[in-house]
Amino acid sequence: MRSLKSIVLALAALGAAVLAPAAEVNLFGWSEYIPQEVLDGFTRETGIKVNFETYASNEELLSKLVAAGGSYDLIQPSEYAAELLIRRGLLAPLDRAKLTNLKNIGAEFRRLPHDPADRFTVPYMTGTVGIVVNTEKVAGPIRGYRDVFQTKFKDRLVVLNDNREIVTWALYSAGLPVNDINPAALAKVRPEIARWVRLVKVFDSDSPKTALLNGDVDIGIVWSGEAALLWNENRKFKYVLPAEGAHRFIDILAIPAGAAHQAGAHALINYILRPEVSKIVSDKFPYTNPNLAARQLLSPAQLANPASYPAAPGRLETFRDIGKAAADIDRLMTDLKSAQ
Amino acid sequence: MSAIGIPSASAARDRRQPGWRAWALLAPMVLWLALFVIIPGLILIVYSFCERDEVGGVIFAFNADNYRRVFEPVYLRIFARSIGYAGLTTAICVVLGYPVACYIARAGEQLRNRLLLLVMVPFWTSFLIRTYAWMTILKQEGLLNGLLQAAGAGFGPLNLLYTPTAVVIGLVYAYLPFMILPVYGSAEKLDNSLIEAAHDLGAGPVRAFSAVIVPLTLPGIAAGTLLVFVPAIGMFAITDLMGGARVPMIGNVIQNQFLQARDWPFGAALGVVFMLMFALTYALLQRRHASPA
Amino acid sequence: MPDPVRPMIEIRGVTKRFGAFTAVDDVSLVVRAGEFLTLLGPSGCGKTTLLRLLAGFETPDAGAILLDGEDVTHLPPYRRNVNQVFQSYALFPHLSVRDNVGFGLRMQGVPAAAAAARIRDALAMVSLAEQSGKLPHQLSGGQRQRVALARAVVCRPKVLLLDEPLSALDAKLRHGMQLELKHLQRKLGITFVFVTHDQAEALTMSDRIAVINRGKVEQVGPAAEIYHRPRTPFAADFIGQANLLSATIVGRNGTTARVRAAGGLELTVAAAGLPAGASTALLSVRPEKIHISKHRIEAENVFAARIEEEIFQGATDQLTLVTDQGTRLHALVANESAIQEAFHEGDRVHCGLHPDDLIIVQAE
Repeated sequence: MRSLKSIVLALAALGAAVLAPAAEVNLFGWSEYIPQEVLDGFTRETGIKVNFETYASNEELLSKLVAAGGSYDLIQPSEYAAELLIRRGLLAPLDRAKLTNLKNIGAEFRRLPHDPADRFTVPYMTGTVGIVVNTEKVAGPIRGYRDVFQTKFKDRLVVLNDNREIVTWALYSAGLPVNDINPAALAKVRPEIARWVRLVKVFDSDSPKTALLNGDVDIGIVWSGEAALLWNENRKFKYVLPAEGAHRFIDILAIPAGAAHQAGAHALINYILRPEVSKIVSDKFPYTNPNLAARQLLSPAQLANPASYPAAPGRLETFRDIGKAAADIDRLMTDLKSAQ
Repeated sequence: MSAIGIPSASAARDRRQPGWRAWALLAPMVLWLALFVIIPGLILIVYSFCERDEVGGVIFAFNADNYRRVFEPVYLRIFARSIGYAGLTTAICVVLGYPVACYIARAGEQLRNRLLLLVMVPFWTSFLIRTYAWMTILKQEGLLNGLLQAAGAGFGPLNLLYTPTAVVIGLVYAYLPFMILPVYGSAEKLDNSLIEAAHDLGAGPVRAFSAVIVPLTLPGIAAGTLLVFVPAIGMFAITDLMGGARVPMIGNVIQNQFLQARDWPFGAALGVVFMLMFALTYALLQRRHASPA
Repeated sequence: MPDPVRPMIEIRGVTKRFGAFTAVDDVSLVVRAGEFLTLLGPSGCGKTTLLRLLAGFETPDAGAILLDGEDVTHLPPYRRNVNQVFQSYALFPHLSVRDNVGFGLRMQGVPAAAAAARIRDALAMVSLAEQSGKLPHQLSGGQRQRVALARAVVCRPKVLLLDEPLSALDAKLRHGMQLELKHLQRKLGITFVFVTHDQAEALTMSDRIAVINRGKVEQVGPAAEIYHRPRTPFAADFIGQANLLSATIVGRNGTTARVRAAGGLELTVAAAGLPAGASTALLSVRPEKIHISKHRIEAENVFAARIEEEIFQGATDQLTLVTDQGTRLHALVANESAIQEAFHEGDRVHCGLHPDDLIIVQAE
């Protein structure tokens, strides 16, 4: 297998080197995350063409990258996927000299556990996973996961259809470390998750705001970007960061090891790090912008959105790679969901 | 009749090996099957005996652990539930699709072509868009509840979306054409004089239907059942979107192995078992169909 | 034997249209109990539609149909005590011979034991007792035809409708089946209404023939009557062979009249068929009625002719004659073994015609 893989990689790299004109960058990013006008602006300014391919999950990114690494020049993993890639030597170290705009990134988003020395990654956008409450339908305070998963809210909840997220919330409410997934911890939170699963009406990672907007549910645990859009839609949708602690995700820009167009990739990263360019991303996708210079260009309304820029963030943690425990989580959740 | 037993020289010639011309004609299809069916199938089988690595890659280590896991109660229960949903969907498709197919088959040529077109119109739009359309119909503040309210229905808004009912509605909607078309095919071939003969021999509409029309359109029903039942078992988009992903179907479990759990080998093992199930269903239907002749 | 008095079917002024096309046009017809009546006509004449009206597959736009005195005009087929043998046989492909024959009995709720006996008898009647377990596709065409027949008669209908049931069989088998059907009808005493476009078949089998053309009944009567005394040009021409001569009436003399046929041949005809004041007429002469001899003939109408063509037909010779006046006629003569009476092309012959054999089929 291994030799076959290396032959494929070599061939792909060779093909890329021979066939590709110098002035292009192959970008492999999340769908619905990079505005096309940003890429157009880059091409207009530099003459470098951007070939944009998208994926829908970190796992899709990982498997495609392993299968055909040489064909991508710039990728967008989340923090725990980046950690895994770094450990496996699949990312190329960045040339800081070429990233003059790196200074715009706030200190709290640098030297994070997934890349302690800041050698391989640059934050693109960040966000949190928190609670959205339709205040017209739900009276009384909702402060954390325990307040959400109450029997009286049965069939009024939407949560991310993401097994690790759900397990993380249970670990937080049990006061356990969220990045140390082991059988004992899973066994401990199992009964609580079993109870939760019966209360939830919709599991949806792609567009959890839909069920809230449609009035099918009244409370959600969702990506902060979704919550920000809901807030923009109607002020009745309030965003709350759970008191027990919450996941802060960092979506990253990184260059795969062996990328054919490293110079172009660096140029694109540096372009995106410009305040006025980064602002375009914020306008379109109201996540938390780690680019402090870009934040200064945002309108007061944008900055006042509590989902994008929460006033008192409380305890936030990024995810670490958990290796094979992902399969244990999947098994646990499948078991509990199908037991209903 | 006796002549059939003795193959003539020309018949023997007709049955010779296909020449290069035949192979040339077959080549695109053979290539297609090899590239997109046989090779991926073999990869699936090989993967199913492997182990996963950390990133989500595959380590070659021949063992049957994945298959042992497939037959754990959790997954068997999910298989059973998927089969239940698919069975219900198939039954509803037969009940709804059969009369439609028969009506189309009996309609005049112009009307028939128009109705067939209507059956196929949904395929002009993406499947996902049609599913989202159903969501806007069924949601709490959606079209259906709006109409009910406007009509002055005495009961509150129906809670349909994100329920098993919604899943079945979605599945029936998605697969109904695959029942109508094959049944239409066999109903259209049904000689009208056979129905007249049944009436002539004293069979009223109901008896003519049960004693003549149904048995003679059975091949169409069998084909439709295969086309609806098999893909309905593996469907995951509808259970996610319209069922709220609350209850996993076998399709969701397989999808998760590839997109969340990073466990391709186990996903492959589930896929192989799934394929074997299809093959078994197909073989059973074939045998039942072949036995009376 | 047909009951000359009791009508089994009465068709009263029945009309059936399909869009602008009138398939059956104000037809009135009586079928007598126990008779073998044939509806004879070319394809598209409306005979099959008439049969389907009797079976109940079509409902008339006007008129009424009575079956054994009961008005069945609006009864569906499954409530009428008539059964049909279909042109395609319409055997149920998924049922064995036995179950095909038993289908009607099952629908009528005949108890299993009684039904089994009747099925056995019906299959024995058509000599298919051995084939009862087979499926229709395992039978030959003739065997399928018999199953269709057995399936219909086992229900003991008042009337058996047969829609060109022999048309799919080869000539020899067809002839055998014609006689078999005729004998069966005599034996069972069931009223048969038989549709065909084959005039020879109609003449062989029928007690009476109804000649149908363009949705109308042109003539009804026993086979011999239709053959010998056709009442319309169509009846004369469609059944058997006929010489149709258009003629002008040149004089009347009590019971006879003189006419001049095209070409100038003058003939004496019976005046009975000629309406007063008519000036032209269409005459029908059957080829075998023309008496031909090499010697002079004593007869009412005599004329000389030359044999233009001779066609050997086995038992008969068909001759094309041209009279001295130039009228062309077809004649049929028995093929005598005596060599001296044989006719050959180019021979001059003497011809004779009895006035009663000159049938007036139209006059104005």
